[in-house]
Amino acid sequence: MSATALSVSGLTKRFKGSAVLDDVYLDVARGEVVAMIGPSGCGKSTFLRCITLIEQPEAGFISVAGKPFGREVVGGTVHRQPRRAVDAMRPKIGMVFQALNLWPHMTALENVVRPQVVVLKRSRDEATARAQKLLADLDLADRGDRLPHALSGGQKQRVAIARALAMDPEIMLFDEPTSALDPELIGGVLALLKDLAAGGMTMIVVTHEIGFAANVADRVVFMHGGRIAEEGPPGRVLKQPGDPRLQAFLSLIRPAAAEAV
Amino acid sequence: MTFDLSILAQYWPLFVKGTWLTIRICLAATIIGYVIGIVLALLSQIPSRAIKAAIEIYLLTLRAIPFIILLFVVYYGLPFSGIRIPAVITGTIALSLYASAYYAEIVRAAIEALPRGQYESARVIGMSALQAMRHVIFPQIVPTLVPPSTNITLTMIKESAVLSSITVAELTYQSLVVQGNTFAPFEAFAAVTLIYWAITAIVAHAASLLERRFGRARSEHLVGSALAASFLSLEAMPKRSRR
Ligand SMILES: Nc1ncnc2c1ncn2[C@@H]1O[C@H](COP(=O)(O)OP(=O)(O)OP(=O)(O)O)[C@@H](O)[C@H]1O
Ligand SMILES: [Mg+2]
Repeated sequence: MSATALSVSGLTKRFKGSAVLDDVYLDVARGEVVAMIGPSGCGKSTFLRCITLIEQPEAGFISVAGKPFGREVVGGTVHRQPRRAVDAMRPKIGMVFQALNLWPHMTALENVVRPQVVVLKRSRDEATARAQKLLADLDLADRGDRLPHALSGGQKQRVAIARALAMDPEIMLFDEPTSALDPELIGGVLALLKDLAAGGMTMIVVTHEIGFAANVADRVVFMHGGRIAEEGPPGRVLKQPGDPRLQAFLSLIRPAAAEAV
Repeated sequence: MTFDLSILAQYWPLFVKGTWLTIRICLAATIIGYVIGIVLALLSQIPSRAIKAAIEIYLLTLRAIPFIILLFVVYYGLPFSGIRIPAVITGTIALSLYASAYYAEIVRAAIEALPRGQYESARVIGMSALQAMRHVIFPQIVPTLVPPSTNITLTMIKESAVLSSITVAELTYQSLVVQGNTFAPFEAFAAVTLIYWAITAIVAHAASLLERRFGRARSEHLVGSALAASFLSLEAMPKRSRR
């Protein structure tokens, strides 16, 4: 078992010629929680979409638990992995979208069961048992038979998290998990992420919640213009930012940050 | 001049035979056309310019030419390339191709109307493109396919009359035979009018039942209450099906 859950090197993504991700390097250790912050449009979502290969990056290598994902070097040359190899690796990276993207025609339980059956070839019984356990852990035991539209925002969020967790991922990616929630629900989701982190889950969380970054993350990564402009432990990055752009960014959200830190 | 019912009494077996053939041809063309349509709609999701262009040309061509011309091209083109098959098969193929272009458009539009995130969340969790279509996309779009597909199918049933011009002994052909034997065109065509009317009415009714069933399931997951859904299917759905 590799001590590195995710390794990204030289990741580059261009949209119509302009680089949205520009030669990004990031290693995430097993069990580490990385909070990714940065101004709107700096490439945070694109970064998550590239490491899940929803978007095809122009360059760069990704590996998950030591295994190459997407591109690999065979005999000195770079190859795109066949589609099947990519699909087989995908469950190892759990992605929770900002829009959640629950499947509206399936119950909450079925949302969690179906991918286990289809992708991991688990038996329906095994998948259902797993899903029920996860939903119960996430306080949704009595919500499994509901369709997503009949769930609150926070409940939907937890179903989306359960759906990804059921695949036994090596790493979980969250794109602004609290931004679509009513203010009173934010605390609950952050507490849940904190629990996941305490349980040893490796995570990258794109967030505007500086408080979460300060209290839960092991490392804060500040993105700017498609590059990682500064990174380090939250105590240093958030309290003594070196990069003037990070200073400017933090001063914009300072009131919230000051309260939390 | 009087309406001569004895003609119908004498020739009804021809009308029955013609009706039966029309039904079989249209059923086959609906199924084959829909299968081709779905395959084209799926292929058009592949991010390849060449595939997209090829499909676009196929769809544009089939929709640009009158059905009778398409029929003649297939009818005279197949023997030209050394393939000899009965006219009824030729006609069914032409009708299937014709319908496939319209079905493809409907399915493609429905797929593309769903939020992109539905497909992405299926792929990102490890489903293949086909698995994502089967488990996530199609169950959501099938209800929306019914009304426009019904329109295409009804149009196709009417266009099937053109197969009489290549001697396929379907309903219209039989009415021409009756008319030729009896010199009573009005009786023959009046009978045929009624039969086409009955076929299309049955298809339209079946479609509205189907739509109502889907409509209820759909509005339930949109509205969330069985009561609201029952109002929706009573009040709103028939209006939609009249489109
Ligand atoms: N499909 C696309 N085509 C063209 N440009 C895109 C596409 N997706 C993203 N971009 C551009 O890439 C840049 C980075 O976008 P991204 O969504 O990654 O930003 P972000 O850091 O997540 O911002 P936010 O905090 O607002 O979510 C933006 O300038 C955006 O306009
Ligand atoms: Mg974003």
